[in-house]
Amino acid sequence: MAKPTVVVVGADKGGVGKTTVARTLLDYFTAHHIPTRAFDTESPKGTLKRFHPDISDIVDATSVPDQMRIFDTLSTTDASVTVIDVRAGLLSPTLRSLRDIGFLDAVKKGQLTFVVFHILGSSIASLNEIEDTSSFLGDSKYFLVKNFINNTSFFEWDQATHASYFRKFKDAVEITIPKLNEMAFEQVELASVPFLTFVANKGPKQEPANYSFVLRGYVRHWLGNVWGEYDRIKLNEIVAAGSAAPAAGPRVQVVSRS
Amino acid sequence: MPQPVPLYIVTSPRPRTGKTLLARLLMEFFLACRRPLVGFDLNPRDPGLAERFRSLVWPVDISETRGQMGLFDRLIADTASTKVIDLGYGPFDQFFAVVREIGFVAEARRRQIEPIVLFLTDSTASTVRSYGELQSRIGATFVPVHNESVSLMFAKEDFPPTRAECGVIRIPRLSPIVRGVIDRPSFSFNAHMANMSGGPNEVHEWIGNVYAELRDLELRLLLGRLTSNLRGAPTPPAKHKGGRAR
Repeated sequence: MAKPTVVVVGADKGGVGKTTVARTLLDYFTAHHIPTRAFDTESPKGTLKRFHPDISDIVDATSVPDQMRIFDTLSTTDASVTVIDVRAGLLSPTLRSLRDIGFLDAVKKGQLTFVVFHILGSSIASLNEIEDTSSFLGDSKYFLVKNFINNTSFFEWDQATHASYFRKFKDAVEITIPKLNEMAFEQVELASVPFLTFVANKGPKQEPANYSFVLRGYVRHWLGNVWGEYDRIKLNEIVAAGSAAPAAGPRVQVVSRS
Repeated sequence: MPQPVPLYIVTSPRPRTGKTLLARLLMEFFLACRRPLVGFDLNPRDPGLAERFRSLVWPVDISETRGQMGLFDRLIADTASTKVIDLGYGPFDQFFAVVREIGFVAEARRRQIEPIVLFLTDSTASTVRSYGELQSRIGATFVPVHNESVSLMFAKEDFPPTRAECGVIRIPRLSPIVRGVIDRPSFSFNAHMANMSGGPNEVHEWIGNVYAELRDLELRLLLGRLTSNLRGAPTPPAKHKGGRAR
């Protein structure tokens, strides 16, 4: 049995773009033909499920039955990657639960691959979150995501503060998600389809759509840049190392980076 | 094999190089050829082309995404009309940045639309540099235009066309009298050409020369495509090498 991979996307602050990043990850895995499932912990509503209804389920990450639905099925599901979009404020509690149920021990023993995308806000509080979160993450792949999609300026981060925090967490790797044209972002929201489907000019049921070529172009270019970041951190290889998916499988590129 | 429909982008990174004049000439030339035609005026502050061709030319402001959609979505939706864009020096950088970011040239070609940049040259170093950089980045066919009213000398090596057969368009120098005549708001090149009651004059000769240049360009482009088709290969744009022709 291949080693399953769990990817957690979270932050302790709301409105920093967790679900957007989770959506780009699902598109990335889809494009790389990596079987993936997703759990949306924004119970009962679920934004991620709106965009990826076929592979997403809404769960309450704090309830034991739902935790069983996610973690007890890791070795039996067809999906080699499980993406969990953790709702605002629940990242630290979720990691604590993972420690308590022995998940982090399994990661330590090499039975699971664990990847955490920690989406940062612009405030100093976000840097403090890193300290809280990183204490759980000894054997995981830990990525700190600066998300500019909603025009965050990270104004509170002066160089010295930033450097002092990042020195503490040598294993954490920084990722930058660039800004997407606002109208393009809004149109994808209205269309309620994955970014990749929008670029392909398809509707929710894969029917032909009539989205603006300009907006599709902006999304394609942006998604290409985001995937460029995922390629830089070798996400495909991290996941493939744990799963049956080929490490050097067909590489799907949305657009070359400028 | 269907021939691609041309999309002429008349531009220069500097003011007062004759962009709108050339766009006007193109519009009237294609009207005289009775081709389906549409134009776009990208000079929101002074839409001179749109004011002259109110039923054919759309004024567009591409500083906003909505304006970009109004331009580029229309350009690729209409695969039948010859198109002329008057691109002023103001939106010059933004236009080509958007073209590049949204992958416009590739999509246009996929739809049998051939973007051709008619680049009005001058002798400044920044214009030479801009030509070389754009030519290597954008992937469209670049044809230099030498407007003799802007600069007397033209250094061929500074502005190599994308393909050898494209050559250079030359707009002969205008005398102040001719300039005064053709700048009148009601002036039409075609109407003037149709009226030679007093015999051909300097204005007739000047228009005739420019129309001959445009006809030559269309023929050269057609010849290039036919030659390329006969060879069984597409016509890839040549890479600009360091801003100078060898």
